[in-house]
Amino acid sequence: MRIDVFGDTLCASVTAAALAQSGHEVCWFLPRGRVLDAVNEDRVPYREPGLGDLLGEQRAAGRLRCAPMTLNGDPAAPVVFLALQPGAQTLAAEIADWLASAGACGLVINQSVFPVGTSEALQRRLAEAGSPARVVALPETLQEGVAIDSFLRPHHILLGCDDPAAETLMREILRPFNRRRDVIRVMGLREAEFTKLAISGMLATRLSYMNDMALLAEQLDVDIDTVRQGVGSDPRIGEAYLYAGCGFGGSGFSRDVMSLTDTLRSKEVSAKLLEQVMEINERQKEVLFRRFWRHFEGEVAGRRVAIWGAAFKPGSDRVDNGPALKLIEALWAQDVQVHVHDPLALPELDAWAGGHPDLILHDDPYQAVADVDALMLVTEWKLYWSPDWPRLRDSMGTPLILDGRNIYDPDYVRGQGLLYHGIGRG
Amino acid sequence: MLPDHFSAAERPVRQALAEHVDKARHWHLAQLFADDTARFDTLSLEGCGLLVDFSKQRLTGETLDLLLDLACARDLESWVRALFEGSDVNWTEARPALHWRLREQADAAPEVHDQLARMGEIVDQVLRGQWRGCHGDAITDVVNVGVGGSDLGPLMASYALADFRPEHGRRPDLHFVSSMDGSQIAPLLNDLNPATTLIVVSSKSFTTLDTLANAETARAWLERAFPDQQRALMRCHFVGVSANPEKMSEWGIHPCNQLLFWEWVGGRFSLWSAIGLPIALTVGMKGFRELLEGAREMDVHFREAPLAHNLPVILGLVDVWNINFLDITARAVLPYDGRLKHFPSYLEQLEMESNGKSVTRDGTPVDYHTCPVIWGEVGSNAQHAFYQLLHQGTQPVACDFIVAGRYVPPSGDGDGHQQLAHQHRLTLANCLAQSRLLALGGGALPDDQHDQPAFKQYRGNQPSTTLMLDELSPRRLGSLVALYEHKVFVESVLWGINPFDQWGVEMGKVIARDMVPVLETGDGLDGLDASTRGLVRRARS
Repeated sequence: MRIDVFGDTLCASVTAAALAQSGHEVCWFLPRGRVLDAVNEDRVPYREPGLGDLLGEQRAAGRLRCAPMTLNGDPAAPVVFLALQPGAQTLAAEIADWLASAGACGLVINQSVFPVGTSEALQRRLAEAGSPARVVALPETLQEGVAIDSFLRPHHILLGCDDPAAETLMREILRPFNRRRDVIRVMGLREAEFTKLAISGMLATRLSYMNDMALLAEQLDVDIDTVRQGVGSDPRIGEAYLYAGCGFGGSGFSRDVMSLTDTLRSKEVSAKLLEQVMEINERQKEVLFRRFWRHFEGEVAGRRVAIWGAAFKPGSDRVDNGPALKLIEALWAQDVQVHVHDPLALPELDAWAGGHPDLILHDDPYQAVADVDALMLVTEWKLYWSPDWPRLRDSMGTPLILDGRNIYDPDYVRGQGLLYHGIGRG
Repeated sequence: MLPDHFSAAERPVRQALAEHVDKARHWHLAQLFADDTARFDTLSLEGCGLLVDFSKQRLTGETLDLLLDLACARDLESWVRALFEGSDVNWTEARPALHWRLREQADAAPEVHDQLARMGEIVDQVLRGQWRGCHGDAITDVVNVGVGGSDLGPLMASYALADFRPEHGRRPDLHFVSSMDGSQIAPLLNDLNPATTLIVVSSKSFTTLDTLANAETARAWLERAFPDQQRALMRCHFVGVSANPEKMSEWGIHPCNQLLFWEWVGGRFSLWSAIGLPIALTVGMKGFRELLEGAREMDVHFREAPLAHNLPVILGLVDVWNINFLDITARAVLPYDGRLKHFPSYLEQLEMESNGKSVTRDGTPVDYHTCPVIWGEVGSNAQHAFYQLLHQGTQPVACDFIVAGRYVPPSGDGDGHQQLAHQHRLTLANCLAQSRLLALGGGALPDDQHDQPAFKQYRGNQPSTTLMLDELSPRRLGSLVALYEHKVFVESVLWGINPFDQWGVEMGKVIARDMVPVLETGDGLDGLDASTRGLVRRARS
């Protein structure tokens, strides 16, 4: 089947590649920008494991063609995916107008994160322009770092769809990814859009709840990690998203929660819980800084700190909204020199920092810790899980380990002659 | 050398004024407006974004000419020069009054700009959420502990300019504590989180009992929250603003957290210095520098404009006319703008502490009135309180109406502007209506209402000045405040008194100090007067 994918999000790239892999003839239209440039130069637009190979294979096989988005030229394919940047509703409307004029399109699948009701608005716009095309909502549920896998073997698929013929066609397109058992949950357009935001809100709430509990755990001198395991073993709760830590980041997750908060506010429903959730998260991003500050009783000017991990989560090269940024800003504001190691995210961090003199990037995690007064573990990349403790102890100026993800064993680390603080671990 | 206040040239001028006032005493404003329909054109002035309309004052162009003669006879221009040359215009304390230097540009006042820069660093850290409490939390609340000039100025301006947000960062919640008893600070501390609270202790001498008592209470509160962290606590939770760094250090303010101003700034003239820290936290440093710039514009105007077109000079002469010639010894300050809520109490200090004096430079007691009794309230609220007295009471009262001509919606709020613009028009209408009715009395009413019973009649002839700001912005507020500062100086020259000291507030402090042990022990009652003795006994029982 001929399928067009519009957009330059990670979702667009994964959708285009995965559909091509399952045999479709895919044309991926990208708006001008960084991602289009990368694609044109045969670079991988997102540092997503497996994505580069998959895109390369599909382009080589001729099933995937990439092109700048011009909204003229070839007539549209019968099936069109929209995976645009959040907030790009105007662009979506322009594409809809073009689809209506270009005739052939029968199904528009909106994957973009837009305010609730946008898919319906697109449907109306197409109808008013005389297009027979139906709009369905397929909110993206990709997890960065395992994006390909979460597209190919989804745990669940939310499908907003009001039309039986459109549902039949969607089921046909999703068939290769819906084999073991039917994971498609069909609901109304608005419901699908809202469900996506509500999921993010719930997950964020769990995290912030656990971070609040971590504060209390510290006061009560209990280990939040033990408590987490106990709580998670209750089947009514489950284990996921219960890790106390130094805050969640990334563009998608926090953006969803903020979008939900805005929606609640605009409907004059109080958004108190989610506002608190976000506030706790912002506070949590500085938790390692506060530990560091207290350790030195506020006399931190001129000290050096190492940060391991700047990506907002392991497997990603993205730093946006992540705790590392807030932490680095807090340290800079106190004249602390920051040494960072990260296996993937250093170029993004470097671009963000804009040449700040108090940021030194390291390719080797052990170089980063030389003579520092603290090591802050921010992103739990696998390579940080089992450090050479004696080497750390000997090369650090003050052997202070601030574990933002509770990945180390406090007693063991202390036994190695280092100082240790985790999140909510007494 | 200071110029003389009094000279032989004065006698003929006084004689002419005495003859003039014999006629003027019988004028009614309704008649003055009827006689001269162009009064507004000749009896109003513009400058520094302010329109000053004094055509509703009981005077004419001739009056003004005579008053200007008096100003010349009192050598006002030499006095203005003396002020700006840094002569010891505060002769009882043998020092100059250089508050205007606080608004000078960097090349002219480098030491002032050094302190502004230090203040800017603190403001920046707080606004960016990077000023940290001793547990590393970002400061969210700032408590200004000060009294008099260390309270009224910052409070007035922070409140007035709250619509103007800093250009970046997040404004902390500001609180002001001034009263000597714990009635302000105790409930405030109950609500605040010590981990996120910064205390600004402001005192020119850093010996003010009221302020230090409140500061001690705040320190004890922080010590209870953070025992054994004395050093971090002082470094993270206290900023001091004073002209006395030794006393600040003695009290425990960390050297890095000391902001300085100078002996040559009077407390009631100090909001332009680091005492204005709460203002800068409200509007950001850019806004604070705008405030200074607005005041500097007024400084230049005051120095350079000819007397007849000089706003502070004319305002001062009008006051002198009302007080010394028309015997109007009360003045009401009536801002028609809720944001200027604290402006009346600010002016009460500025004017009454400055010119509430009665001895001239050679030590002679004056035989004429000096500063009037000044009080005020947001005009539209005062209409429901004391305007009855203004309209139908027996006291002559001169009024200052202050209003912004243009409504500028605060940034950020999307909806509701139309309503707010309407409310502004309503307020402006009330301001204009009241000054009109006060001036004209029944004459302002339609003709068919003249046959009213006596208790419904309006006498009118209450004089007023209306100050219309282009808009209430940092810059225009700076001009307005500087206008009053300079007006106060003009009046002091006309009265021959020193506006920059305040000896009248010293003795009470001494007696209060001696009274504390009497209240504690009951000893020493015999030396007291019968009234005080009775009150002490009652308080101790």
